[in-house]
Amino acid sequence: MVDTGLGLIAVGAGIAVGLAGIGTGMAQKDIGAAAVGAITEDSKMLGKALMFMVLPETIVIFGLVIAILACFVLPGM
Amino acid sequence: MFLPESMSRIVIVGANSCIDETIEALYDLESVHLIDHTIDADEGFTLGTPRPYSPKVAERMLKVRSMEKDLGINKHTKTQPISESEIRSQISSDSVESIEVEVRALIDRRNDLNQRITELNAKKKSLELLARLPIDLDMYSGYKSISSVVGTVEKDPTQALGDLGESFVSMDKKNGSIVAVFVTNEDKPKAQNILSEFGFTEIAVPEGKGSVNTELTKVDADLASALKEQEVVQKETEVLFEKHKHFLRATDEALTVDCEKGTLPIRIASTKYSFVIDAWVPTNEKDNVKSTLESKIPAIFVEIEEDRSRKQADTEAQEERFQTVPTKMRHGNITKLFEYPTKMMSIPKYNEVDPTVLISIFLPLFFGFMVGDCGYAIPFIILGAYGLKYAKNPDWRAIATVLFFGGIWAFIFGFFFFGEALGMHFVGPQGESVTYTWAYLLHLDHLEEFFESFLIHGHGVGKIDSAFVGMLLRLSVYVGVVHLAIGYSVGLYNKVVQHGFKHGFLEKGGPLLIFIGVVVVGYALGFSLIMKQYEMDEIIPFLGVAIAFIAAGAVLVMKSEGAMSILIETVDAFGNILSYTRLVAIGMSKAGMALAFNYIAIGMIMGISPDPAVTSDVSIIMVIIGLLLFSVLHLMIWTLAILSGGLHALRLQLVEFMIKFYEGEGTEFNPLKFKHIKTISDKNVKEA
Repeated sequence: MVDTGLGLIAVGAGIAVGLAGIGTGMAQKDIGAAAVGAITEDSKMLGKALMFMVLPETIVIFGLVIAILACFVLPGM
Repeated sequence: MFLPESMSRIVIVGANSCIDETIEALYDLESVHLIDHTIDADEGFTLGTPRPYSPKVAERMLKVRSMEKDLGINKHTKTQPISESEIRSQISSDSVESIEVEVRALIDRRNDLNQRITELNAKKKSLELLARLPIDLDMYSGYKSISSVVGTVEKDPTQALGDLGESFVSMDKKNGSIVAVFVTNEDKPKAQNILSEFGFTEIAVPEGKGSVNTELTKVDADLASALKEQEVVQKETEVLFEKHKHFLRATDEALTVDCEKGTLPIRIASTKYSFVIDAWVPTNEKDNVKSTLESKIPAIFVEIEEDRSRKQADTEAQEERFQTVPTKMRHGNITKLFEYPTKMMSIPKYNEVDPTVLISIFLPLFFGFMVGDCGYAIPFIILGAYGLKYAKNPDWRAIATVLFFGGIWAFIFGFFFFGEALGMHFVGPQGESVTYTWAYLLHLDHLEEFFESFLIHGHGVGKIDSAFVGMLLRLSVYVGVVHLAIGYSVGLYNKVVQHGFKHGFLEKGGPLLIFIGVVVVGYALGFSLIMKQYEMDEIIPFLGVAIAFIAAGAVLVMKSEGAMSILIETVDAFGNILSYTRLVAIGMSKAGMALAFNYIAIGMIMGISPDPAVTSDVSIIMVIIGLLLFSVLHLMIWTLAILSGGLHALRLQLVEFMIKFYEGEGTEFNPLKFKHIKTISDKNVKEA
């Protein structure tokens, strides 16, 4: 017997991570392009460029946290 | 320790006759940061003129640099340092000039040779083309009424030329086609016109007699001898490189400093008979600087103008050129290693907290928590220690620092908290799931007793175990609250130091109060909605306190920054706290990968079942393949751990934490000093 509620939670968690990932990707796309340009100009920028690259990863981490809460905390409620 | 070193401003006044001794003394002190004099800053003063020796020094430096370039010596060339006094005596006995004669002769020879080889190669190319035509070299020219037009073409022009004259064509798509046309002098322009439609490019026929092939053999022989000579010259260059590299690098360094000393007067104020130097010195060295200078040089006076306080108002009351106080960071041997991330943002200002110490605590801690695995920690420690010992480049040193100290934390967390190595617990229940423990894999039964004595639940915290996820998330949020609270407090402290308590609190107290309110709201909502520990009516007092804090903070923020900032500060506080959940999220993502990889390598390839009840049939070949795969996959996670763990740990410092208080854009304390790299200071020579 498959538990529909549990399945829906898993789908929700997947959507949370997936959409957040797309958002991060869209933000990183532009930063990445600019970062590569900056590094080509001056390779000393690598550190700063990497720093800016990981800035939007907060978005996907929020998604991941929601997914974790959904997977681990919701079923117990 | 937290604020940069206290600075005092001094004025040195002296007679022009003793300026050279003064400059020497300043360089020996190594603690005087010069304030550049600006034209018209003081009436009656002008900028000084370079010392008389400085053109000669500059000329020598130019010679040394050009020799270094010709011989291929650069700052990465490994050379032995030479003592300063020896270098100086060699420079003054015209060693630079005598070496230059030697090097110049060789370099001129090399240049001539290179030119000759280029010419011979060009000649050879023309001859190779001409060799395809049945004409001797001396037959191309020397006629009274006939001219020759020789060159390369793209298409065969024989038809178009018709009976204009006699033409010889050799078509070859791969090596180029050549045409030689013999026409009367009057028809020459006509022939050239026709040829130009066929992509004609004229070539000069080399001078010579006899058949082209004979000439070609001669050129080949010449070229071979030239190349041989080039090899000899190359060898001689290498000999000179070895012979002079130590001297040239050391001389370059010594002359650079001499040049700096020689042009120092144009940075200070002077009159016809005297000079005035404004400078910053660390407050605890001001008396030493004064007494040393005054005792060494008779015709000089040092006045200590002020000990600069951290108050912004005191700074703003000064002339513009005295407003920027250089920042001298105060660090021990270990915290010094963490200056790199601070400098990556900016140099701290004189009157704000230098965050390096805080970074040196939290950066490795966060990195270690995210990795949290003994198996990855040990290579990190080894690699980091190796890097700290041997790396010279500041970028690599910064990475090695994080790896070493972060690795130590990763080991501590991995051993005492998570109880894990390479994604597997040391001990624990072994059941039907897909996880393995080291005790089960290696049949080490006595491990249980050892680890059960201190690990939570007897086997440590599982990163992707539903029993611990809630706890880990809460833990990361608590860490975030503490870290951010430090950030907000430092922000408040900075403003209090700069403007006094009242102004400081009005400016930076608001965000702190809002932050406290948000933390209380978050606590109440989290524990009632998610944890179900409180009923809704029980959290009302919490909400009341929170609203009081947020309201008080909102009033302060509105006064200092405007109404929009209230919303920004509130959302920011929430977002920033949640941002720290990455501490767990990244640990989990790596643990998830490790779990999958372990099952692939051990369960699927080696065929060892995680269930102790099932007897596994294990073949030695599959074990070897499994171990290889195991190593490669874990190496991948390990590399990812450097990138994601390191960058996110750094990002939490630079973005969430430092934005709360850090302004930066200070000027680094840069005292007059001879930086000995390729030379040895005479003081050290004497001590040795």
